[in-house]
Amino acid sequence: MGLLTDEIRALVGTRRVYTAPEAFGAAAGRYFGLAIGDDNPLYSDPEFARSHGLAGVTLPPTLVCETNQYAALPADAEGYAGHTWGLELPGTRQVRGGNRYVFGRRIRPDDVVTATWEITDATEKTNRAGADMLVVGSRVTYTNQDGEFLAENEETLIFISLGGAA
Amino acid sequence: MSASPDRPAVGDAIAPLERTITLTDMVAYAGATWDWHRLHYDPEYAAAKGLPGPIVDGQVFGAYLVEMLQDGLGPDCFVQTLDFSFRNLMFAGETIRCEGEVVAVDDADPTAPTVDVTMTVTILGVGGADDRYAVKPASARVLLGRTDGTGRP
Repeated sequence: MGLLTDEIRALVGTRRVYTAPEAFGAAAGRYFGLAIGDDNPLYSDPEFARSHGLAGVTLPPTLVCETNQYAALPADAEGYAGHTWGLELPGTRQVRGGNRYVFGRRIRPDDVVTATWEITDATEKTNRAGADMLVVGSRVTYTNQDGEFLAENEETLIFISLGGAA
Repeated sequence: MSASPDRPAVGDAIAPLERTITLTDMVAYAGATWDWHRLHYDPEYAAAKGLPGPIVDGQVFGAYLVEMLQDGLGPDCFVQTLDFSFRNLMFAGETIRCEGEVVAVDDADPTAPTVDVTMTVTILGVGGADDRYAVKPASARVLLGRTDGTGRP
């Protein structure tokens, strides 16, 4: 054990807030649908969307949780241009545990997204192979320009000690 | 069994979704999500990390699971929650099969019935046989007849 240092513990509650420089845009949703091969007309056909009670096309639901569009950050050395916590734990490898999404309503092209990231917890554990792990939980809440709740994404990052039996 | 868009029942299977994810698909996804991490499209970079090829971005599995639910339960449903845990890496050119089963239906409020679904994402190997899980477990709560959700649950 020892991965959960005072410095890591002190990060719990840390927040980062990003507001997109422009509205999400219908083209972003249509392109995402094309990229993943999802041809649901709710994302591309305004008449079809209206016939199902929507004001027009909406974006594929998970896109808001997957995109870095709102962050407007420069790409790092590996090409990544999204939010990171910048956690570097020597002697560990980092893996992603999973996600939990909660959606309030469909994302609309005129939504201007604000993403509020927060580190929610940091817990030390031991995996089945006996290696020490640090499990860091974070939550990002997506709202729009009127403060409406759009979605929430809880993520788990796992740092596994390379000195253990993993 | 097959799921009915009108009234799914416990034990119903959601029509599965299969997809081969090519490097071209991964480049398109990287562009669509503004995620240009080289692990997701650069074979030389992946090889230098000791990997057999570029890694499929795990978050895309959430998109495929929602696509399966939307197609299976119809356009008037709304995925309210989605949980998924990663199990194994997937590499460019591999094929997945998403599967789901209805495990609970709550229609006590006939204007807002909900359906709970458990799901998996399996990576297929030679001959289409199951090789390893990409995602397990996964689950979702889906609202029926509420195309645009209900606001914050």
